[in-house]
Amino acid sequence: MKKNLSLLFAAAFVFLSLSACGAPREYASDFFAMDTYMSSKTYGTDASGAVKEEAERLESLFSVTDENSEIGVLNVKGSVKASTETVELIEKALEISEKTDGALDITVYPAVKAWGFTTGDYAVPSPERIEELRALTDYEKVDIDGDTVSVPEGFMIDLGAVAKGYLGDRVRVILKDSGITSAIADLGGNIVTVGDKPDGSPWRVAIRDPNGDGSVGVIEVTDKCVVTSGGYERYFTDENGVKRWHIIDPATAQPADGGLLSATVIGEGCVLCDGLSTAIFVMGAEKAKALWQSEGGFEMILVTKAGEVLVTDGIKDSFFLDGGSGYELKVIG
Amino acid sequence: MIRTRTWIVIIAALAVAAAGAILLIRFFGAPGTTAEIVKGGEVLYTIDLDKVTTEYEIEIGDEDGDRNTVTVRPGMICVSSADCPDKICVNTGWASKNHPYPIICMPHELIIRIVGAEGEADAEAG
Amino acid sequence: MAKRIVTDAVLAAVALVLFVIEAQIPPVVPIPGVKLGLANIVTVWALIRIGAPDALGITLVRIALGSIFTGTVPSFVFSLSGGLLAFVAILLLRKLLKEDQIFVAGVIGAIFHNAGQLTAAAIMYGTASVFVWSPVLILSGILTGLFTGLVAQLLAKKIPRSIGARRN
Repeated sequence: MKKNLSLLFAAAFVFLSLSACGAPREYASDFFAMDTYMSSKTYGTDASGAVKEEAERLESLFSVTDENSEIGVLNVKGSVKASTETVELIEKALEISEKTDGALDITVYPAVKAWGFTTGDYAVPSPERIEELRALTDYEKVDIDGDTVSVPEGFMIDLGAVAKGYLGDRVRVILKDSGITSAIADLGGNIVTVGDKPDGSPWRVAIRDPNGDGSVGVIEVTDKCVVTSGGYERYFTDENGVKRWHIIDPATAQPADGGLLSATVIGEGCVLCDGLSTAIFVMGAEKAKALWQSEGGFEMILVTKAGEVLVTDGIKDSFFLDGGSGYELKVIG
Repeated sequence: MIRTRTWIVIIAALAVAAAGAILLIRFFGAPGTTAEIVKGGEVLYTIDLDKVTTEYEIEIGDEDGDRNTVTVRPGMICVSSADCPDKICVNTGWASKNHPYPIICMPHELIIRIVGAEGEADAEAG
Repeated sequence: MAKRIVTDAVLAAVALVLFVIEAQIPPVVPIPGVKLGLANIVTVWALIRIGAPDALGITLVRIALGSIFTGTVPSFVFSLSGGLLAFVAILLLRKLLKEDQIFVAGVIGAIFHNAGQLTAAAIMYGTASVFVWSPVLILSGILTGLFTGLVAQLLAKKIPRSIGARRN
């Protein structure tokens, strides 16, 4: 009898240690790229080197603050012979511009600069200057001829609203090509996921509360990108006490006033999510809802100035509102 | 055959381990501070107790007329009143990170539980 | 044969009385339907002194009648899972126990009775959060098991083996 007992204990011990060894190894890393903090967590295989390399490679192509990058050259010379990635990204951004009636416009950079968001010398431009800036903002004037991109005199491009999304798409390809089936990366606030968590449950992504330090809730996703655009990320308060943020409405060359505090887009294409989140922030809830109904292919979470959290029908069962945040949840769809 | 003395040792060890576990739960508490209010199997509310600044109440009712009043304070949550017959839920007292025992109102299918890492997010967008 | 039926009936009645008494005691943990498990000692006694089939019968009768008298649906389900698990546990382990180790059987029975209740509660209430009560229920299981087990052991010494005895 004693022998049977000790056998039982031995078996239990082995079983327990086996299941502990069964958990896949987690590889985490963080680094600085594209002017922001990025981190990644992969399971089973370590790909942190590849992710960091790609981030730095794309930064050297897209960075608007680097005069040697392709965008940097374009903004100074008016045209540039660009690599396939740059051309591809610009084309995708222009597509989004068309879908959103210009709410996203990569040529809005001169306006962003004029308000001081690139230097920190915040200022409210004069009405005359604003008119000038409006004339300099028109995505339709971006010309792509083969691998040459050109813009009219005085125009400048900034891929900031879509670059991290492009990186996100590339990261997912890199990770999946390495055989990774479970991963999550935070690319300067753009959340990119591969598959589910190692235990099979979906990734839980918190949505930042524009009004405070916490979150408005958590969205469960599998293999999707989650991108949030919000005025709270960068803003200054002018002499009249009005909050002026860095997301400029291309139509008015002034900070967007669509009635939203933040817009989160969830979908499979990271560039789409990135670009749309900016566009939707500018458009406001009504136009965003119309776009969602006619286009599809993404879901969204909107935090409005009126204290509501609007979620689209497709994610109503995977979004969990934080009861303590004080927002009212509404499903739009 | 196992000697009586051996049995006593086993039982005593088990008792000590259990007591230790109770103290650990009291000391370290749950891995998180998020409370979930579950009614009829559906999570109605998720509340991060650490982010609560003032006391407030939530009324939970349904078409059958069942009523439970949940009181939320910084770091803790309880059922302050209920119209069920046994009032076990009300007598359970406050649940918190260091007292992470679930509050159950069986007749009303209401459960308030403190969830650990489950309730926390893996990343934050924005 | 008649002697056997009478013995079993008496034991079932004792179990029932214990069950009803403990129903008046406030619950040890605030999980609706979870009980201390005093009546289990009769199952223990029957398994060690009489035999498995009788013990099973007595236990089932106690659970059925006891729940009709005092219980709610959850407490019936919990009594059933707790009682059966305790029964199986002692059935398997009784070969390890000597005559004067009935108190050990009491402890084992009580712990497994609580384990059964807790598992049933997790399933019925649909939340694993109840398992956080395990250490408390192990401790209370040890204490009630010791108490009832020692009483049973004392009685075992006083009551001659000839009464109802059959070990199979």
